[in-house]
Amino acid sequence: MNQTPCDFTFLYKGLLCCTLTLGSNLGFSQVTDGLPAASELKQMSLEELMNIEVISVSKHSEKLREAASAIQVITHEDIRNSGAKTLPEALRLAPNLQVAQVNSSQWAISARGFNNVLANKLLVLIDGRTVYTPMYAGVFWDVQNLLLEDVERIEVISGPGGTLWGANAVNGVINIITKNTKDTKGLFAEAATGTDLSYLGSVRYGGQLAKNLSYRVYGTGFKLDNTRLTNDTSANDNWPMTQGGFRIDWEPSAKDKLSLQSNIYYGKPNPDAGDVRIIAKGDNVVARWNHVSSEKSDFQLQAYYDHTWRDFRNGFTEQLKTFDIDWQNRRQFGNAHDVTYGMNFRMMNHTVTNLPLFAFLPGDKDLYLYSALLQDKMTVIKDRLQLTVGLKVEHNSYTDFEYQPNARFTYTPAKNHTVWAALSRAVRTPARIDREFFLFLTPQLPFISGTEDFVSAEMTAYELGWRVQPTENLSVSLASFYNVYDNIRSSEPGPAPFYIPITFGNGVKGETYGVELSATSLVTDWWNVRGGYTFLKKDLSVKPGSGDTNKGSAESNDPTHQFLIQSTMRLPGNTELGTVVRYVSGLSEPAVPAYFGMDLRLGWRLNKVVELSIVGQNLLDDHHPEFIPSSPSPREIDRSIYGKIVCRF
Amino acid sequence: MLALLCSNFTGTGQSSPSLERRLKAVFLFNFTQFVQWPQNALPADQSPFVIGILGPNPFGVYLEEIISDEKVNGHPLTVHYYNQVEEMQACHILFVNIADIKKQEETIAALKNRNILTVSDSYDFLQKNGMIRLYTSENKIKIQINLEASKNAGMEISSKLLRLAEIFTSDKKD
Repeated sequence: MNQTPCDFTFLYKGLLCCTLTLGSNLGFSQVTDGLPAASELKQMSLEELMNIEVISVSKHSEKLREAASAIQVITHEDIRNSGAKTLPEALRLAPNLQVAQVNSSQWAISARGFNNVLANKLLVLIDGRTVYTPMYAGVFWDVQNLLLEDVERIEVISGPGGTLWGANAVNGVINIITKNTKDTKGLFAEAATGTDLSYLGSVRYGGQLAKNLSYRVYGTGFKLDNTRLTNDTSANDNWPMTQGGFRIDWEPSAKDKLSLQSNIYYGKPNPDAGDVRIIAKGDNVVARWNHVSSEKSDFQLQAYYDHTWRDFRNGFTEQLKTFDIDWQNRRQFGNAHDVTYGMNFRMMNHTVTNLPLFAFLPGDKDLYLYSALLQDKMTVIKDRLQLTVGLKVEHNSYTDFEYQPNARFTYTPAKNHTVWAALSRAVRTPARIDREFFLFLTPQLPFISGTEDFVSAEMTAYELGWRVQPTENLSVSLASFYNVYDNIRSSEPGPAPFYIPITFGNGVKGETYGVELSATSLVTDWWNVRGGYTFLKKDLSVKPGSGDTNKGSAESNDPTHQFLIQSTMRLPGNTELGTVVRYVSGLSEPAVPAYFGMDLRLGWRLNKVVELSIVGQNLLDDHHPEFIPSSPSPREIDRSIYGKIVCRF
Repeated sequence: MLALLCSNFTGTGQSSPSLERRLKAVFLFNFTQFVQWPQNALPADQSPFVIGILGPNPFGVYLEEIISDEKVNGHPLTVHYYNQVEEMQACHILFVNIADIKKQEETIAALKNRNILTVSDSYDFLQKNGMIRLYTSENKIKIQINLEASKNAGMEISSKLLRLAEIFTSDKKD
């Protein structure tokens, strides 16, 4: 698997692209910096001064500095300036994620390898609600939509989040956080259309019901256009989606915060580009209570209900009802111990309507998950050295008890400088597809068969990282990892003479290692640049005794190099220019060539109410593929452009 | 990629403070209008009202620009820059910009019996008995006030400022 010489020409093409991005800005160095003058600010009242938005590298760094892990944050402004229309497009902005668009409604998203449409090693949460299906332990991205305007930030932690977050956070956690309703008051409306976007329209209204009680109500709908087949004709996979919901936040006292939110959606994705669309709909409710008992102790109690329904329109349907209740308490003991402990109960009722030859048996299954977590962040040397040890114990319906311990060191030799190291164990517990899925040739003859012997995949991670803020305006982070995997899913042939049924086994093991470099820089007050580079190497092999039909390669298809740079500029005349350039090196099986992608957004604030923007996406190629799934047919993503008008009252 | 970023720093003048810094400078000026000093602490006659910066100056020339031509109770405003507490003479507001936590503590202790309003953006400034903390949260500047510390120094903070600030109370029970 050698790098072809072609890869290097791509790198040069990229460098040229970047110099163009940066070079074109040199012309602006003579212009006034667009900041309010002293006389202007002096005339403002205290309230007005406190309402001015300030971007600060150090604000993020303060939170990131405390974290002994490879965490990256995508802010609301990063998303707005990138022109991202949907959540997966916004996730492209995290340099430590592999994000590949498969077709109009499907994406392959993972961290630190093992990317696949059915990627199962990433835990994704939206406002505390876990969004994965126990059918295959992955995420249906076509039903994870939100009003991007109301996203506060997206935290992406690459690396095992087993202790704090639980099983299936083997390679990372994506934590999507929406804004508190007190920050989303007023009327927001947007409308957009373009060459790849039939329409996008949203309305949101937020207000105050009482002194410490605020709310918002929203509705959004969009239809993404067809992608392209490899024979250059249009694939009929266009995708309409509608979603609405509300959120209420209440602070009854200085020590209590309550939040309630609910969403309901209905979409008709068509990844197979067939004549009949899939229907995907659902609704969810999340309630949360945060209570500060004292300066040294606080807790959070959260409960949610999530219902999803998917009708594949060929007779197969899937319904999932999840009920989850979670309690976490944090308490400081003396000066040296910061202890977090908690418990969680989750019940998932999964019901499918089987086809004669394609079935999950039993069709109706209740899965129970109980877990407890305990973590102590100990101060070994005040302000210099911290040691965190933690353990999560889970009991699930398939493999009984699972243990996910971790230990982390944080060393802070100077105020703007952190070195961290971590040792963790994480597991990916079986999903229904591993144990209970059957594909038949005839009703008596299974071709693929789930097995009760399928166990959890395990990983031991060794990580070392360094975070530094050399100047007030520059923050750099470097994370390296070495992951050892065992019991990765394999496809084992059945007995002779026909070697069927194929069962899922745990016959693949191996290592991955790599480096994630990222940085944020406020180059000037009107120009900030952020981005990163990720390097990933995998060495997977088939275990003795396993006859894996894919020789260890089915679970993943990952690029060795990945590069992202996002530049945001505030220009005179109330205009903004956002540029995102990304490079993804080639995938091997199935092969996808390396590519450069570039998105550009030009925004113009007409006045206090109206904002116009034009966004060009995937500008560098007429069309290009990013990921080829095992099914449906391969697609390519077109160059596209769209225009949007936004009103904020 | 690091090289690309570093090359951008030739020419970004340190003289142009960020928006965050400018806002903090304006707040410093505003505090002169919303806080009352005890009678005996006010400057005599035409002596200036002093805003002091202890530690590296984060405001460039911006603070001086703001206060030029402004007066507090008929006294002109001026900015003085100090490296050590010992250098300080007459001073009414002090912006403490010292990174070292131990030195910060010593500074606040040394100023104990003087009627000086201490302001900083340092994380645990109020725990150390500093009076006002300016910090950025959710992309906006917020004010935290240690009311007790300010009262002990004889300051009276206007309710117009108090109601916009988060009042810090130290937890005496340990």
